[in-house]
Amino acid sequence: MIRLRDVRLSIGDPAHGSCARFKLPSFEVAQGEAVALTGPSGCGKSTLLNLIAGLRRPDDGEVSVAGADLAIMRPAQLDRHRGIHCGMVFQTFHLLAPFTAVENVAIGLRVAGRGKSAIRERAREALARVGLGHRLNARPDQLSVGERQRVAIARAIAGNASILLADEPTGSLDPHTGRGVFSLLREVAAEEDRCLLLVTHDAALASDMPRRFDCSTLIQHSGDLQRKEKAAR
Amino acid sequence: MSLLAMAWRYLRFRWLVSLLTVGSIALGVALICGVVALRHEADNALSRDAGLYDLVVGGKGSPLQLVLGSVYHLDSPTGNIDFTEYERLRRDSRVLWAAPIGLGDNYEGYRIVGTEAHFFDLPAREGGGSFFELAHGDTFKDPFEVVLGSYVATSTGLEVGDTFFGTHGLVDLPGAEVHQDFPYRVSGVLAPTGTAQDRAIFGSLTSVWEIHETEERIHSAIQGSALLGSQKERQATAILIRLKAPGLRLWMVDEIGKRSEGIAAIPINEIMRFQRGIIDPVQRALLVIASAVVAVSCLSCLLTLHQAAERRRRDIAILRSLGGSRLEVATLVFLEGIILTAGGVALGLALGHGGLALAAGSIRDATGLVLQSWRMPGSELMALGAIAFCGSIASLFPAISCYRRTPIEELHLTE
Repeated sequence: MIRLRDVRLSIGDPAHGSCARFKLPSFEVAQGEAVALTGPSGCGKSTLLNLIAGLRRPDDGEVSVAGADLAIMRPAQLDRHRGIHCGMVFQTFHLLAPFTAVENVAIGLRVAGRGKSAIRERAREALARVGLGHRLNARPDQLSVGERQRVAIARAIAGNASILLADEPTGSLDPHTGRGVFSLLREVAAEEDRCLLLVTHDAALASDMPRRFDCSTLIQHSGDLQRKEKAAR
Repeated sequence: MSLLAMAWRYLRFRWLVSLLTVGSIALGVALICGVVALRHEADNALSRDAGLYDLVVGGKGSPLQLVLGSVYHLDSPTGNIDFTEYERLRRDSRVLWAAPIGLGDNYEGYRIVGTEAHFFDLPAREGGGSFFELAHGDTFKDPFEVVLGSYVATSTGLEVGDTFFGTHGLVDLPGAEVHQDFPYRVSGVLAPTGTAQDRAIFGSLTSVWEIHETEERIHSAIQGSALLGSQKERQATAILIRLKAPGLRLWMVDEIGKRSEGIAAIPINEIMRFQRGIIDPVQRALLVIASAVVAVSCLSCLLTLHQAAERRRRDIAILRSLGGSRLEVATLVFLEGIILTAGGVALGLALGHGGLALAAGSIRDATGLVLQSWRMPGSELMALGAIAFCGSIASLFPAISCYRRTPIEELHLTE
């Protein structure tokens, strides 16, 4: 389902001293597999998610997602591919404030290019699936943080995306709510055989995932690079 | 949910800023519409009135004053001219139609114009027949019978058969002498002409003479001075003329100027001179001010959209992360600008023309100009097109900015 090989990527601007190099020899995820991406802050976990979502392009190497080589896709194709195959869940929910819960989910389906006729019905079903069938017309500011994250999960699963990319989905939630959201993500991923890539700092949550991928060596920051280059000379 | 509906929802979400932006665009549009429409309508109305007569002959004085006083019923007359001049002109083979007018009294501020019954036979410029048509009643047959202009009838509520007294003077002043011994009876009401004639009351010239000769006799008796009135030659305030060919106008003006004590003026020439010298510069200044307001409005629209786009960098990034293309998010921001511009233009149009409609009555009362408030001249459509274009361009900048932006930074996904 997901395959990255010999991926290299420069991040930041060397002229401003903020350069980092991302290097990933090999990473594969099979359909229906759930993987926790772990490691300290700034190690490259989210960059890996960006590469899979097509929000970043590698300088070198192969990124294949749902059978498509992202490197050869045009920007518009990448956007569409992301909309169809990737459902994204963020730490701070990223709901659109002017719209109700059902509209937030429906907009996700709309921009992903789904047909008009079934969009609203599908959005309702997705919200019911995450236990928010009674909060369809509530706006984000009328929802609790846990409910907001559930709406975000509903938005991610509504379009039948085969890959769920969750970036610290429990980071803004209290432990109890976080655990509930985590369980929900696992559940909806397992039920429909979706891949789940979950970035987390929470060791307990990571240990509950069937597979953990340590990202701590993916990125070398400029300081490390300079030291290595000096040592080599 | 369509992009248009999403754009509308975003605008509603920040309704106060949206409303202020629409308001500022509307203000500029209203000013431009008002000025352009007023200019067009004033030009039309002035030309319409001035085109009724080829020449106006009156006492020595300013030709413009003569035209304004006798055609538009606005200014004071320049002075009288001998009635024999009218008789001479009526016999002139180059004259198609001529009528004398005598002014001196008013009723509720509407001038009572003494003339002859054939005044109403003034030929229409187009389509044959007479320019004047009666809506009710008949033309005056006897002295002290009058025909009301349509606006006078509406404004005063007078109907055929009603009587009233004239007041001395051309304007309605408190304490002015009312001619109580000379009641006028309404014999007819004219159909609307869209000219200053709608604001006049037409009666026989002999009744005007009779009232004023009687008044003079009374005043002379009170002062103990000798009566001059009966020995005086009959005079008219002005003579209105339609020639057989407009090309004869300049010759006739020259000829009348040399031959008589009075002057002859070509109404259309005087009005055009008046427009170019006084009205046009004022209108141009107003247009410049209105254009500046529109420019500021467009800048304000640009600023609002830019700020909105900046505030919504995160939302735009979310839409991108959900699979929305660059083109879609740019279109969304562009549509917001278009809705604001369209709203501003529509509101401005309503305000501009509504304001003109509200002011039309006062303008007619003050100047005699009859304005078609809701008509949109071509120049106004062009101005609106230019404003819509500026609004679209202003909307394009934030849209392009959103198109170029990458969503990663706004989503805080980088490490």
